[in-house]
Amino acid sequence: MSEDTLEAVQVAEPAPFATAGRYQGRFRLVPVVLLATGFAAVIGSWRLGLGELTNPGPGLWPLVVSIAVSIAAAILTVIPDIEAYEKWTRRTTLLVGGVLSLVVFILLFTALGFVVPAFLLLLLWLRVFGEESWRLALTLAGGGTAVFYVGFAVLLGVPFPDDIVAGTITRLIGM
Amino acid sequence: MDAFNNLGLGFSVAFEPMNLLFVFVGVVIGTAIGVLPGLGPTATIALLLPITYTMDATSAVIMLAGIYYGSMYGGTITSVLLRIPGEAASVVTTFDGYQMTKQGRAGPALGISAIGSFIGGTVAIIGLTFLAPLLAQVAVAVGPASYVAIMVLGLFLVTSLGTGSTMKSLCMAAIGLLLSTVGQDPITGTARFTFGIPSLLGGFDFVAIAMGLFGVGQLLHSLERTEKAQAITTKIKNIWPSRKDFRDSSGAIARGSLLGFVIGVLPGGGGVISSLASYALEKRRAKDPSRFGKGAIEGVAGPETANNASSTSAFIPLLILGIPSNVVLAMLYGALLLQGITPGPSLIEDRPDIFWGVIASMYIGNVMLVILNIPLIGIFIQMLRVRTGILATFALMVVMVGVYSINNNPFDMWVVLIFGVFGWIMIKTGFDPGPLVLAFILGPILERSFRQSMLISDGSFGIFVTDPISATIFGALAVSLTYSFISRRRRVKAAQTLSRVSVDAK
Repeated sequence: MSEDTLEAVQVAEPAPFATAGRYQGRFRLVPVVLLATGFAAVIGSWRLGLGELTNPGPGLWPLVVSIAVSIAAAILTVIPDIEAYEKWTRRTTLLVGGVLSLVVFILLFTALGFVVPAFLLLLLWLRVFGEESWRLALTLAGGGTAVFYVGFAVLLGVPFPDDIVAGTITRLIGM
Repeated sequence: MDAFNNLGLGFSVAFEPMNLLFVFVGVVIGTAIGVLPGLGPTATIALLLPITYTMDATSAVIMLAGIYYGSMYGGTITSVLLRIPGEAASVVTTFDGYQMTKQGRAGPALGISAIGSFIGGTVAIIGLTFLAPLLAQVAVAVGPASYVAIMVLGLFLVTSLGTGSTMKSLCMAAIGLLLSTVGQDPITGTARFTFGIPSLLGGFDFVAIAMGLFGVGQLLHSLERTEKAQAITTKIKNIWPSRKDFRDSSGAIARGSLLGFVIGVLPGGGGVISSLASYALEKRRAKDPSRFGKGAIEGVAGPETANNASSTSAFIPLLILGIPSNVVLAMLYGALLLQGITPGPSLIEDRPDIFWGVIASMYIGNVMLVILNIPLIGIFIQMLRVRTGILATFALMVVMVGVYSINNNPFDMWVVLIFGVFGWIMIKTGFDPGPLVLAFILGPILERSFRQSMLISDGSFGIFVTDPISATIFGALAVSLTYSFISRRRRVKAAQTLSRVSVDAK
């Protein structure tokens, strides 16, 4: 399902925050960040040099664009649009953990190669976010890792970082 | 005739075994993601970009185009059976399609959608075949000021007619334009907003942004919802509509084809707008409008036809002007750029194999889709059993490995992860990533056209008034903005009066 559709479906439901006046500040957070970005970009463009309209400098176009960002963000800061905001649930907190697991995955990937981190990541996600049984999660994680390794490293020839598992297997077979 | 020679060339390309295979792969994936929860055409094309990088340019575009129009067919299935629109353009189909299912007429609803989609798609491809060469001749003469106007119009339409809040979408479009300025200035070569990071000199990578915002962002978001797989209890029978069904919907299909084609050519057109317009038209023309929303077959046939016609004719601005008119086509534009091909008025002359090959492949793809969606529909319905958690986990792994494989560099994984978190926050706070990505693609073209206009006009903004196309577009924009501002003020005033009246009444 596309993102547009999900949003369309949510719009149809009553906005959960429409009545919660004391949370208004929350809705201004993103616009304020965008407004700061817009202002910073205006200053940055100015410093790049505007040139003339007949002979524009590198900063002229960015200035036009960053003014547009600032105006739109300013309007949103003054009149926050609270319609499509979603609730922060327990699962949201869980997902922050999911993002951290991706950070660990990338770090392990550079250090240990593909097989171990991929298996662990698949297992964790299937078990925790997919809420699958241990048996199914283990099977899918093991099978999935093998399919990905064969598909990308063997068939497509993507050079993964040195792999401790696949490397050991190749050495054993080589001996 | 010239058109037949061109089509001959196109079919000789499209009938190459590899290309036939990729049309098939494209339309199967398209139908499948239309059915599967959590993945839309934009996210899927984003996931597959690194893989198309290694493919031949023609095959890559043929496959991605197949995913796009295939998803228009697939999205119907869940709209009709479960009242869950598979993609935005199918929202309208839920009105009458789901009612037909409740009345035990799911079969004819799906059948007429597939047939209408086929007719609408084919009419639009025929229109594309004969009009494209003529339009390409006109397009060469289109000046930079007109380009600026067309792109501004496209961005305005995408932001105001989209599903989210207009001001938020405008803000995202502006951020997209800002992101596209990062890197070297196209004329002077000065580094802009690179913060001394050498790898930013070439600008942000489109693939990383698209995969992050659409791929990772969307996956994180879909995991947050604890929807369980839906069981289909409906038995689907009589999928081939009866003679009466055909009689009732033939007018709607004919009108939907034409309406969809015309709307698709406009900047910002394609998809949602055309299906809404067709529904409104059918309801207005009906002898008994009260049937609509209660299972009127015209209410399914018309919009489904129109959305397929428009998603096909939306290829006209992409292939001829080099301006993608919606977000999915922006992804296709990005895929072409990755291959070193810039779509524009000269594409038809420079790479007739791609231009006509893609068009010819659409004829073949539509025939395949009718077969997939009528006799084989049962297989796709089984896919509804796939659980979001499993799908999202594996899709995530495809993103991570895919983005690494572009440059074999773990740095790209970090970029995708960061943009993924941005994308997730954007969805959660109601900012649509679509306009951002579209604007990011349009940014460099817009800047170039703007600077060229300024050079031609000697620094005078008068060029936007003296150029006929640009004057018309900016004039129409000004009128419609003023009109919507006035009517909104009137509505606010009316609401205030009303509340005052009700307070007084108490």
